[in-house]
Amino acid sequence: MAGKSKGKQETFIRELLFILAVTIAGFALQFVIGTLDFAIFAWPVNIVLAALLLALAFIKPDSAAGKFGSGRVSVILLVSITVMSIYMGLVPGNDVKHSWPFAFTYLMIMANLALTIGRRMRNFKLKRDYSFMLNHFGLFLLLVAAGPGSADMHRYFIRVAEGQTEWRGEGEGSQTPKELPLAITLNDFSMEEYSPRIALIDKATGETQPSGKPSLIDCVEGTEGIIAGWSVAVDTFEYRPRMAPRAYITATRKAGNSVLSGWVSCGNHFQPFSVLDVSEKLCFAMTFPEPKKFSSDVIVYTKSGVEKKGVVEVNKPLTAGSWKVYQYSYDTRAGRDSEISVFELVYDPWIIPVYAGIILVMLGSLTLFWRGGKKE
Amino acid sequence: MSWSEFIYFAAGSLILWYNGTLALYKSKNALWGNLLIAGGILLFAAFIGLLWASMDHPPLRTMGETRLWYSLFIVLVGYATYLRWKYKWLMAYSVVVSTVFVLVNLLKPEIHTTNLMPALQSIWFVPHVTVYILSYAMMGAATIAALIALWREEGKEGELFALIDNLIFIGFGFLIAGMLMGAIWAKEAWGDYWTWDPKEVWAFITAASYLVYLHASYANIPKRKALLIIPLAFIMLIITWLGVEYLAVAQESIHSY
Repeated sequence: MAGKSKGKQETFIRELLFILAVTIAGFALQFVIGTLDFAIFAWPVNIVLAALLLALAFIKPDSAAGKFGSGRVSVILLVSITVMSIYMGLVPGNDVKHSWPFAFTYLMIMANLALTIGRRMRNFKLKRDYSFMLNHFGLFLLLVAAGPGSADMHRYFIRVAEGQTEWRGEGEGSQTPKELPLAITLNDFSMEEYSPRIALIDKATGETQPSGKPSLIDCVEGTEGIIAGWSVAVDTFEYRPRMAPRAYITATRKAGNSVLSGWVSCGNHFQPFSVLDVSEKLCFAMTFPEPKKFSSDVIVYTKSGVEKKGVVEVNKPLTAGSWKVYQYSYDTRAGRDSEISVFELVYDPWIIPVYAGIILVMLGSLTLFWRGGKKE
Repeated sequence: MSWSEFIYFAAGSLILWYNGTLALYKSKNALWGNLLIAGGILLFAAFIGLLWASMDHPPLRTMGETRLWYSLFIVLVGYATYLRWKYKWLMAYSVVVSTVFVLVNLLKPEIHTTNLMPALQSIWFVPHVTVYILSYAMMGAATIAALIALWREEGKEGELFALIDNLIFIGFGFLIAGMLMGAIWAKEAWGDYWTWDPKEVWAFITAASYLVYLHASYANIPKRKALLIIPLAFIMLIITWLGVEYLAVAQESIHSY
C-alpha cells in the first residue's frame, strides 16, 4: 500500500517536472525569439496540430505519456494558466496572450484534454459520461478552433464615402492600404440619435449636479424638470441638418424667485458651444447627442462574382460569400451628418467548429444544472 | 416608476425578508415564513418590472442596475436552497448580503440615466447579464457555506459538502452559459468572439479558479483544503464584476460602464 502511493507520487513528480520544463522552454524561447508570431499556425499547420492532438486520445492511459491526462495534471495546468492570466489582467501593456509560455500551457491543456477524453472513450457509458464528454470534447474543439484555428482569421477595415465604391482597406494595426478580395458600394449612411440633455455643470470640474446623483432633462420641446432646486423648462429646441442642436431654456429658482433664460448648445465641429451661466461656479449646458442606431445601405461584391445588397448595422453584420461585413464606425466629428462609413471585414474559416464547441459546452453546462455536485 | 421610489420597495422587501427568516427560526409552522419571504421577493421583482417598463431598455446597463438584480437573486438562491436543504442560516445570510447591496445602491447609486449604446442593443444583452448575476449569487451563497464549513470542526460539516458542490456546479453552469452567450454576442457585434479584453481576462481567471475547485478531488486534494479555493475564486469573481474598472489595464475595455 505504502509502496503503491510512493509510486503514484513519483509519476506525479515526473509530470510536474515535464510541465515545468515545457514552461521554462517557453520562457527561453520568449527571451531568444521574442513574441510568438501567430501566423506560424496558419493552415495547414493548425489542422495537422489538431490531428496530432486528437491522436493523443489513442494513447494507453497507463503509459507514461497517457498519465499526462490525469486530474492532477489538469489542476496544475489550470493553476498555471490562471497565474499567467492574472499577470495579463494586472500589468498594463503586456502581451501574455502572444507569449510562448502561454501558448505552451494552452497546448498542454489541449493535450491533457485529448488524453482524458481518450481514457473515457475506452470505457464509455452514455449515462455516466455524457456530461463529461459534452464539456470536455466541446472545450477541446473550442480551444483548437479558437487557438491555432484563429491564425487563419483575416480582418480588414475599409472606409467608404456615400455614393462611392471602395476595394482598398487596411489590416489590423497597419496603415498601408491593400487591395481586398471584395468591394463595397455605400448607398447611404444613416444615424438616429438620442436627444441631447440639459445638465447643471460645475465649471471647474465638469461634474453634473447634484453631485453624485446627477439629474438631466431631455431636450424635447415642452419638457420640464427639476435640477438641484431649479425648475427647468425647454421652451424651444432646434436641430437642423449640419447645425449643432440648440435649446432655449427657462430656469426658475423656487427659493429666491430668480429666473434665468437663454440659449444653450453643445456645439459641433464648426460651431462653438454656449451655456447659460447661473453663478461663478455653475452653468446650464447641453450634453452631446449620443448615437442610438447607425446603419449603412450597401452593395458588396466579391471576386467570385457574388453581389449582395443589404443594410449593415451594429450587431447585424452582412454575410457575403465567406466574408462578414460589420458596421464599425463613421465620421464621429460629423455625427449624424457623417458621409463616411467604416466597415470591418472578417474572414473566419474556423467559425463553424468554434460554434460547435460553444454549443457542446453550453449543453454540457445545462447538464450541470440537474446533475449538480453528483460525482460520476 | 423611477429610482426615487426604490427606497420604499427595498425597505418593504427587506422588512418582509427579515421577518420571514425570523419566522422560519421561531415559528413551528413554516407557512408564515414562506409567505413573508415570497411576498418580499414579489415586491422586489415588482420594482424591477415597473422600472423596466418605465425605461426604454432593460435595467441592466449600469453597475447600480446589476447590483439591483443581485439583491434579488441572492435572496432567490438562498430561499431555493432553504426549500431544498432546509438551511435557515443560508437564507439569513442571503438577506444580509442583499441588504448590503441595497444600501450600496441607496448611498452610491451610480444609476445616472444612461442611453443604451448601439452595441448593447442585442437579444443577448438580457440573458448574458442576468445569467452572470444569477451565477454570482450562487457563488456568493457557496462562499458563505464554505466559510461556515471551514469554521466548523473537521468531521462536523454535515451535509455542507454536498450543498457547496451543488451550488458550485450549478453556479458554474450559469457562469459558463453567461460567458459563451457573451462570446456569441461579441462575434455579432465586433466580429470576434474573444479578444482578451480586461473584463474577459478576469472572467477567464474566475472560471479557471472554479475549475481548479471542481477538479480538486481528481487530484486527491483533501476536501477541507479544496474549500479554501472557493473564497479565493470568489475574490476573482468580485474583481471581474466590480473591480476591473479600477485596474490600470481597464483603459481600453469594451466593458466599461
